[in-house]
Amino acid sequence: MTETTYAQSATGAEVHTTHIQEPRVLSMQQALNTALDEILASNTKALVFGEDVGHLGGVFRVTDGLQAKHGSSRVFDTPLAESGILGLAAGLAMAGFTPLPEVQFDGFAYPAINQIVCQIARLNYRSRGTMPMPITLRVPSFGGIRAPEHHGESLEALFAHVPGLKVVSPADPHQAYHLLRYAAASPDPVIFMEPKARYWQKAPVEAAPGDDLAGARIARHGRHLTLVAWGAMVARCLQVAELAAEDGIDVEVLDLRWLSPIDGVTLAESVGRTRRAVVVHEAPLTSGLGAEVAQLITASCFDTLRSPVERVTGFDVPYPSGDLEDEYVPNVDRILYGIQRVLEYKRG
Amino acid sequence: MAELTFPLPDLGEGLIEATVLEWLVAPGDQVERNQPLVEVETSKSAVELPSPQAGKVLRIHGEPGQSISVGQPLIVFDVPDDSAGIVGTVPKDEAPKRRVRLSAVLDED
Repeated sequence: MTETTYAQSATGAEVHTTHIQEPRVLSMQQALNTALDEILASNTKALVFGEDVGHLGGVFRVTDGLQAKHGSSRVFDTPLAESGILGLAAGLAMAGFTPLPEVQFDGFAYPAINQIVCQIARLNYRSRGTMPMPITLRVPSFGGIRAPEHHGESLEALFAHVPGLKVVSPADPHQAYHLLRYAAASPDPVIFMEPKARYWQKAPVEAAPGDDLAGARIARHGRHLTLVAWGAMVARCLQVAELAAEDGIDVEVLDLRWLSPIDGVTLAESVGRTRRAVVVHEAPLTSGLGAEVAQLITASCFDTLRSPVERVTGFDVPYPSGDLEDEYVPNVDRILYGIQRVLEYKRG
Repeated sequence: MAELTFPLPDLGEGLIEATVLEWLVAPGDQVERNQPLVEVETSKSAVELPSPQAGKVLRIHGEPGQSISVGQPLIVFDVPDDSAGIVGTVPKDEAPKRRVRLSAVLDED
């Protein structure tokens, strides 16, 4: 059950403490909806807006019922203009609001890149810390739902390359609930990449986060090799770990969570133990985030690594139509091949 | 479960309403995609409207003889939560099929 306690902040804005009190089994879509509901209830400056998020409740039902509950001045539809959505977010943040805009699909974020990169990411820097941008931009991301072009893309490397932005992706309902609340409370702009292929699977959401939400987490402990993943690839890597166990290989799965800043300490700690690593992502290989992760691992674990870090990724082509996405997105066999390459490596 | 309302679609040629002739389904029926739902008559013709999707019929709007405007609710379906998305399809969470086996000599030094 959700409970709300009321208090009055120094600025007069009502600040409530609202969160689930006991474990609930939710889909990620429901977990995000619950988190948004609580953020709106607890922070009177929070606003949710985007294409179809109001009356319709979002194309994935993530904002379902929020307009009816919190009113159309706090949860509202925008024109089909992502540049305008993010420009509005920047202006609202300047005026002291906590904007939670949505860009309906990954591939629709491109028209908003100028506002994100040239304004939102650097206004706090430009203003010497007097103009924080506490914006959480929710973006249904990655592939896996047989959708048309511009609905299956992985933009994490683009955003992670921009100083001033934080980038995070939850892997399951529990992570989604707690990371969204964490992001909304952050004074920095956060790109919140929701793995749309994982919107529907239900899992327990605990009342307490369970660990430090600022870093990576070990989703499964193992001794022989670390699989590094984020978003929808975490669930796939957990499947791969089960398959590898049938062959006697004990795989650790590291859910990176934050794609900027990357938690190099947890990476080093994990691969320092397993001495082998494979990075898995849906985005194309070249200049993908896997390269950054591989370098961080190499820099910290060079002396003990048993093999170069492998990458299993999408291909260097535009994201394909739905018929081909099972070949494009890393599947269990491609990840198993990646593991085998690392296991077979012999020093020359 | 979620409710999904299917409004009377634009039947073409600028017609703004249609008259219900006969319902071919009733509340409680499980219908398949493209299954005929209702026969309606416009000032041009009588047509059968196929179901836009599978689902259980919750409510129907309009008795035979009544007219409905384009865009007004025609039928309401009860659909599973996981089919309530508008774009794409819900991925099936099935056990993965593998072809690749791992083999390794793990000399722990």
